[in-house]
Amino acid sequence: MTQLAAVPVPDAFEIRTNATFEALMLALSRPGSAHSLPAPGMAGLAETLLDRECQVFCDDPALAEICAGFGAALVPAARADHLFLSLDTPEGLALLEQAPVGSALYPDAGATVIASARLGAGQRLRLTGPGIETFTDIELGDLAPGLWPLRAARCRYPAGFDLFLICEGRVIGLPRSTTIEVL
Amino acid sequence: MTIATLTKPWQAFSYGFLDASAKRELRRKMLKAIAVPGCQMPYASREVPMARGWGTGGLQVTLTLLKPSSVVKVIDQGADDSVNAASIRSFLSKVSGAAETWDTLAATLIQSRHRIPEERLRADQVLVLQVPNPEPLRPVEPNMSVARQMHADADYGRLWLILYEQIVRSGRIMQGASYPALVNGRHVMTPSPIPRWDLPKLHMAQHLTFLSAGREKRLYAVPPFTRVEPLVFSDVPYKVEDHAALTCHRSGVAGYFMNEIPQDGGGSVFELSDSHLGIKAIRRRDGEDVALGATWYENGKMPR
Repeated sequence: MTQLAAVPVPDAFEIRTNATFEALMLALSRPGSAHSLPAPGMAGLAETLLDRECQVFCDDPALAEICAGFGAALVPAARADHLFLSLDTPEGLALLEQAPVGSALYPDAGATVIASARLGAGQRLRLTGPGIETFTDIELGDLAPGLWPLRAARCRYPAGFDLFLICEGRVIGLPRSTTIEVL
Repeated sequence: MTIATLTKPWQAFSYGFLDASAKRELRRKMLKAIAVPGCQMPYASREVPMARGWGTGGLQVTLTLLKPSSVVKVIDQGADDSVNAASIRSFLSKVSGAAETWDTLAATLIQSRHRIPEERLRADQVLVLQVPNPEPLRPVEPNMSVARQMHADADYGRLWLILYEQIVRSGRIMQGASYPALVNGRHVMTPSPIPRWDLPKLHMAQHLTFLSAGREKRLYAVPPFTRVEPLVFSDVPYKVEDHAALTCHRSGVAGYFMNEIPQDGGGSVFELSDSHLGIKAIRRRDGEDVALGATWYENGKMPR
């Protein structure tokens, strides 16, 4: 049997994207828990998830250019499978309302939505659902007040969008399977 | 964006065998699988140096998660030392530099064919199950488009019909492995051909489980603390295999899932199916200081 000449060593790109995905995976499988990203900001998520197979909407032109640099097509919000939004404004919420939610027939067509938020201060929320043993309470700030009713209206399980909220170098995941009660 | 800017410098080898675009596609699908527990998500299923049907689905998920600090355990029907398990484990370590282990407690990533270890998995461990047939509805609906519509409608009545027919024909439910289970109260999944004994281990577990079928190009997940309820009738409770009273003839341990080994003359003896638990029990009996983890089953019973 031929042996590889040396033990394979991941390059910086592989280390970064592997760690970013691990944070996203853990965040989504344990909703409400914060996980550290290797680098702050949304560009790292774009690098980890996006390529020429993706259709992206960004409301930030600088980030849109970065996403396009990975080969993703820039499309209107209603056709995007990944959306990078500012959810602290009514305009951001209006775009979120257009995000594809898939259907019971094709739940995988529901979008992944990525936004900034402040963790640990602001609106108190109670989360229940898969990934949470009983319930977990979190506080999220810098988000428009209409977000949670909008999410409840759009996420008709198994259809819906999956939300990643980023606060500097940390991420929390709110999959469509999570029930959010505004306290 | 041009082809030139998308092109990466030449490398002799992609870390973890899969190229970056294959990993990104798997990542996107794995996130969707976590978001809708038990729902089968299609993925591209690339070529790997192994024939489809030998664990290529599990292998691709494992390769996507691997990093140099990973500790990998691979089991085949409970055994770490079978040809299939040993080959996959050595391949994983060869392409990633990850450490290999037989010990469930030491592993961070466990790829398994048809068993879940007897020792409880922790929150920091990920279980990857290889799945030959991901579609629980296939015995009742061979047309996959119709089956998809049935999943969309949560139309699972015919699965109960199969179980009912087994009771009528044989007096009990004969479904030995791949027992269908309702995940998060919405999607029925097949938990891969794990024995009935192992299915309760997925219910409200600490760990994340991925189930991936390479030949069928579908993957699905059971996140931690997710309800996994086997399909049963209210008057016919779920029964695991009757192994609680069996004793392993090599280690003397009782109360776990056993392999039956036929003997000359018609009798049979039993040995632990989770081979490394057996090895640890034998070492401990012989006076070595070996840690046995807490197990799901205690005295042959799953605590409720």
